[in-house]
Amino acid sequence: MSFSVLGPAVLSGLSYGCMGIGLWFWLWGTWPLLGDRSVLYKLHGLSVSDTLGSMLIILGLLWKIPREWPLLILALISLAIWNTVLGYVLAYCSAGNGELAERQALARALESSAAGNALAPDTISSDLTGEVSHDG
Amino acid sequence: MSWILLVMIGILLIPIYESAQEEDVWQRMLAFASISTKASLMILVISVLRDDWMIGLVGVLILSLGNASLMLLAHILRRVNQS
Repeated sequence: MSFSVLGPAVLSGLSYGCMGIGLWFWLWGTWPLLGDRSVLYKLHGLSVSDTLGSMLIILGLLWKIPREWPLLILALISLAIWNTVLGYVLAYCSAGNGELAERQALARALESSAAGNALAPDTISSDLTGEVSHDG
Repeated sequence: MSWILLVMIGILLIPIYESAQEEDVWQRMLAFASISTKASLMILVISVLRDDWMIGLVGVLILSLGNASLMLLAHILRRVNQS
């Protein structure tokens, strides 16, 4: 991989520019971690800024030293896939707890009301717990 | 190039501080995920600076394996919270 069409000064400027923008992205996404916002708000900003900022930094490195392109492109691909999936999984796992607690409370309430109405509580509770276990 | 590493270390201190003082486990996981990505990127920058493939390989491994292990940890925490 060679970028001989562009001059070395242009390449160096492009590379430093990419790295500078990437570092700015990092700071922009990491700074809200110190605040008191919700996990999902922080996760959104952090996953966007970490992925994009890191990809820009790697792009800058690629322009700086094109000789190591296999490693850097492997890093780019793994960053794009894994950081996105990790953001989704963290959001799913952290947000699933409240929903699960709500469902369990609903199951308990239905169970007690069904017992009061002389219905078969086992069928209702097993339906609900089955629904909950399918979720995970 | 070393100014980039200095700025990276400065930004890395934010999630380290957050993970040390935060009580909520999900906020800590978030900070750890950020630390993992940033540390592996720093390793990659150092490998390119030193022109050393071996260090770069370690950086790429940390980048993918660190994120994957955090995903597994998140699922374990979710199961523990369920039971």
